[in-house]
Amino acid sequence: MLKRILKLPSWLQRLGFYLTILGPGLITASADNDAPGIATYSMAGSTYGYRFLWLVVVITLGEVIVQEMAARMGAVTGKGTADLIRERFGVRVTAFAMLCLLIANLGTTIAQFAGVAAGTELLGVSRYVTVPLAAVLVAYLVLRGSYEHVEKVLLVLCLAALSYVFTAFAVRPQWGEVLRNAVTPTFTADPAYIMAVLATIGTTITPWGIVYMQASVADKRVNLADYRYTRLDVMFGATWGNVVSAFIIITTATTLYAHGIRVESAEEAALALAPLVGAGARYLFTAGLLGASLLAASVLPLSTAYAVCEAFGWERGLDHKGRDARIFYGLYVGMIVLSVAVVLLPGIPLFPLMWLSQSLNAILLPVLLVLVLKLVNNRRVMGTWVNSRVQNVLAWGLTGLIVLVTLTLLVSPLFGVQAPL
Amino acid sequence: MLYASQLQGQQVWDAWGRPVGRCADVLVGNIDQQFPPLRALALRDGEDAERFIPAGCISSLYPSITLSVTQDKRKPYTPKGDEMWLFDRVLDRQIVDTEGRRVVRVNDLQMARVGEQFCLTGVDVGSTGLLRRLGLEQIGQAVARRLHRSWESHVIPWEDVAPLQHEDPLRLRVSHERITRLPPADIAAILNDLDRPTGEALLHSFSDEDLADALEESPAEVQVAMLSSLTPERAADVLEEMDPDEAADLLADLPEKTSAQLLDLMEEADAAEVRALLAYPEDSAGGIMTTEFAHAPIGLHAGELLAYLRHSEDAREDEVMYYVYLIDDAHRLCGVISLRDLVMAPPDADLSPWVELDPVKVNSYTAQQDVAYTMAKYDLLAVPVVESETGALLGIVTVDDAIDTVLPTAWKKRLPRFF
Repeated sequence: MLKRILKLPSWLQRLGFYLTILGPGLITASADNDAPGIATYSMAGSTYGYRFLWLVVVITLGEVIVQEMAARMGAVTGKGTADLIRERFGVRVTAFAMLCLLIANLGTTIAQFAGVAAGTELLGVSRYVTVPLAAVLVAYLVLRGSYEHVEKVLLVLCLAALSYVFTAFAVRPQWGEVLRNAVTPTFTADPAYIMAVLATIGTTITPWGIVYMQASVADKRVNLADYRYTRLDVMFGATWGNVVSAFIIITTATTLYAHGIRVESAEEAALALAPLVGAGARYLFTAGLLGASLLAASVLPLSTAYAVCEAFGWERGLDHKGRDARIFYGLYVGMIVLSVAVVLLPGIPLFPLMWLSQSLNAILLPVLLVLVLKLVNNRRVMGTWVNSRVQNVLAWGLTGLIVLVTLTLLVSPLFGVQAPL
Repeated sequence: MLYASQLQGQQVWDAWGRPVGRCADVLVGNIDQQFPPLRALALRDGEDAERFIPAGCISSLYPSITLSVTQDKRKPYTPKGDEMWLFDRVLDRQIVDTEGRRVVRVNDLQMARVGEQFCLTGVDVGSTGLLRRLGLEQIGQAVARRLHRSWESHVIPWEDVAPLQHEDPLRLRVSHERITRLPPADIAAILNDLDRPTGEALLHSFSDEDLADALEESPAEVQVAMLSSLTPERAADVLEEMDPDEAADLLADLPEKTSAQLLDLMEEADAAEVRALLAYPEDSAGGIMTTEFAHAPIGLHAGELLAYLRHSEDAREDEVMYYVYLIDDAHRLCGVISLRDLVMAPPDADLSPWVELDPVKVNSYTAQQDVAYTMAKYDLLAVPVVESETGALLGIVTVDDAIDTVLPTAWKKRLPRFF
């Protein structure tokens, strides 16, 4: 759009233009490695060694496909996902989809606060102090509108996830073995294994990631002529996020799995970073966990409340007073309060809570994926920007895969295999 | 009450009780009327094959859709292109409630028999509409009765809504007429709530003046986005219509090259004013002052002064004119008289008793916060801005702009970026 006014495109302008578009992709990618993300990959790497690496490769492809579809829908229609679902499928389907989104996002929000609890307890501060404090802080920052100032700090804390990449090189894994596992799929019909597979999928390709991606591209008013830059950003971002995830698995597999340590708490998870920073590992780990958790906890309940209210046409957005947008604020505060309550239940195991919520994400994901696929293939919605055959085969393949894995989980107890936990 | 959702997918029966097909859509015409009449029902046979049943052949719609003729006697109907397809284009879409001045979602459509015709009467945007669509109306009512509360049904009469679809120029025209009557601040809020293509389509249908007014009430990002969806020539025309201080603020938010190009396209006089304002730092009084205000030479009598103002170009451009600023030959501020005193004074009276000779003033680099503070302290509706060295009068800051610096309009607070 701006380009129509800018007459002389030089390479400098191109670069500037790219930088204004750059963002959603890279940001959702960093969000892959939020608290539940780190918990899931640590669990996977420490329990199954390098065996999950092939899955990360598959998921990377899946995430690129899914996020690109969401971005394209945002660019073409200028509308949110919930908005489009409502317009095309009516009230009943929307209600069901929003219920799924609400449950999945509530689970992930709980996981974020569990991340806060796990991170701060590692430093010896009780969760009964830090979690309510974090909730009040998050709500205050977001409702006051001063969230943007803090965002940068939290993003910097998120960079702590990069330390896994350095650690991986420091601990000298058997690279041959790593490569072999990246290209050799393995699968066991063991429920615990299946739950772990689902969690790994669910923490990377998320319902809220789709909704977020579409909303932010629609919000940025990306011109279709410049859509290829957005596509590049999305694809690069998704790949990058998963590279970091793969390194978490490699690191935990090399440092923990090799020594028979299965991650069941933050204490053990932090050990993975010890080869790089020694005793400082717990601080580094806490920084990463806290930054990502607070970031996601600020955004998730808000974007969920926004999507649900958008779908049903209720007053939404922080520009409304509490009285005018009761449902919006009710959902927002409700999600935070409920999440805090769950995390503070006496004796609830934080690490399993974090990654199991991600399995739930994956189980609920196909609902949204099917709707997105129907929308993105509808010529009345997308015009000439519908999916190509290859995109459809891959996206439906991914949806089918998740459904299949979920079904395997449901029937596996019938074959005498023990349920997890 | 009859609701459109009750027709969706219903079997249509002919006069002998034979099934004809299922109702796939409802077409109404004359949507600029108070009660747009039903024109036809659409039945869908396959993916794209549609049959139409003209309204004249329908004897009842509820509880079942029956025709007054037999299947083979049914008259043909060919859409003329001006019909509105209720299920496809209105139901579940966003619509502007011009009474409540906000964007709402259509949960259901209310229909009624008006005389001989079935007509569209209103838009259900309340939760009862949602419950009905979910098939939970009975349960919802029962629960509400238990709690001694009632579900409010919220139906907006059709004449008070503006349907909006960017793919639909006809609808846009009707809506445009209904929306332009709203205050600019509400138009800005509505544009902000609409999805991008619809917002832009609406934007393009506005006149330069209306667009300029709406832009002045919009937050910076929205302004930039709106302006960039226009051609440079149109954008320049709109900028000319804006207050110079607002136009300067907006141009300051654009890339330098773009703003330079737009300034070149603007008329010389308007562009010069804006350029002068652009030179001031963004948070200084210069950044929010307007250069269009009423001023007059000092020493005139009341009647002379009023006559002078009537012929003054600057006074005509002054939007509010709370005060008249009196200046000397070197354009230095010498005094201020409130419009009230000026009007109440006898025509031939010497104005000295009413003129404040040493008025409260700020200079162009005073911080905006301090400007607001000064105005609050002295209870001013506008404060003059002078050049600090020469004392020349440059412009005025009005109370609305000062308030904006300390109390940004609530809805201008944007949702934080997700991540």
